[in-house]
Amino acid sequence: MDIDIIELSERKARFVLSGVSASFANALRRSTLAEVPVLAIDDVNIYDNTSVLFDEQLALRLGLIPLKANAKNYNYPEECSCGGLGCASCQVSLTLSAEGPKIVHAGDMVSTDPDVRPADSSIPIVELKEKHKVVVEAVARLGTGRKHSKWQAGVAGGYKNMPILIIGDCDTCGKCVEVCPRKILKLEGNRVKVTEIIECSLCKLCEKTCDMNAIKVSDDPESFVMTFETSGNITASELAIEAAGSIKKRAGQLVEILETLG
Amino acid sequence: MIPVRCFSCGNVISSVWDEYKKRIQTEDPGKVLDDLGVERYCCRRMLLTHVELVDLLAPYQ
Ligand code: SF4
Ligand code: SF4
Ligand SMILES: [Zn+2]
Ligand SMILES: [Zn+2]
Repeated sequence: MDIDIIELSERKARFVLSGVSASFANALRRSTLAEVPVLAIDDVNIYDNTSVLFDEQLALRLGLIPLKANAKNYNYPEECSCGGLGCASCQVSLTLSAEGPKIVHAGDMVSTDPDVRPADSSIPIVELKEKHKVVVEAVARLGTGRKHSKWQAGVAGGYKNMPILIIGDCDTCGKCVEVCPRKILKLEGNRVKVTEIIECSLCKLCEKTCDMNAIKVSDDPESFVMTFETSGNITASELAIEAAGSIKKRAGQLVEILETLG
Repeated sequence: MIPVRCFSCGNVISSVWDEYKKRIQTEDPGKVLDDLGVERYCCRRMLLTHVELVDLLAPYQ
């Protein structure tokens, strides 16, 4: 297995993963969506809400706000020593109280744990007009995307096979350069050059347009261009590590079960 | 209110709403979205097609 990082920022990672099967690449993608634990608001006590939003809508909006936290400091409520009743190591409360006229943003929430805060303070929660008021207490808990999409750590994760372009005998007519939607083909002297092979969408338009049959588009079945994004509750590199760790853990559990059978 | 996240991919798009709303008064919406880093068309349509109803509903509260 080989990893070649193309782009890595706080919220986005793009890399080439080679020497693995498609099922492994897909397992990693699914793991980023469903298995990586993050905090999200799970319970909301509404003391006052005279805004234009129904209580349910307000609670939904609060739940969808990504919370930046060190998830390692928290336990799943069902695995916590408190037995799921709720204590400082399995939940954190955030309060919000505001009076109109103003637009209430995620940044207006006050958390009891200073390490837990909304990833984007500029998310609008509700617009309050004159005399409108909201007073809520929200309880955030640890969870995974498997339970509800608000706990989904990775967004828009995906992969494609590494494209392979072979250019043979060519009369430099330039038709393929014209037609390529990704603009990655260039005429250089008497031949066609590929500038950024990773950007190729494997659409094969170049292959179809070429009268000389000079271009062959194929893909490497064991090499993948993978992209992950997060909504800020976890960094992209943490996401990849946690996702791979979760696969490893579950594979270990499977081995244990198989051993008891053997 | 602008939905917190994109319906399709789940990325947060509402965090740029305030700025987007202000800038489209004078600029081209497509360019503003490029500039704000809203790449995918699923996310772009969330902002492009949003109709704010708060002002319409507020008198009946
Ligand atoms: S397959 Fe499509 S994207 Fe790739 S080089 Fe050919 S025309 Fe361009
Ligand atoms: S379309 Fe075919 S012949 Fe024309 S430049 Fe491209 S590869 Fe060469
Ligand atoms: Zn507990
Ligand atoms: Zn989207």
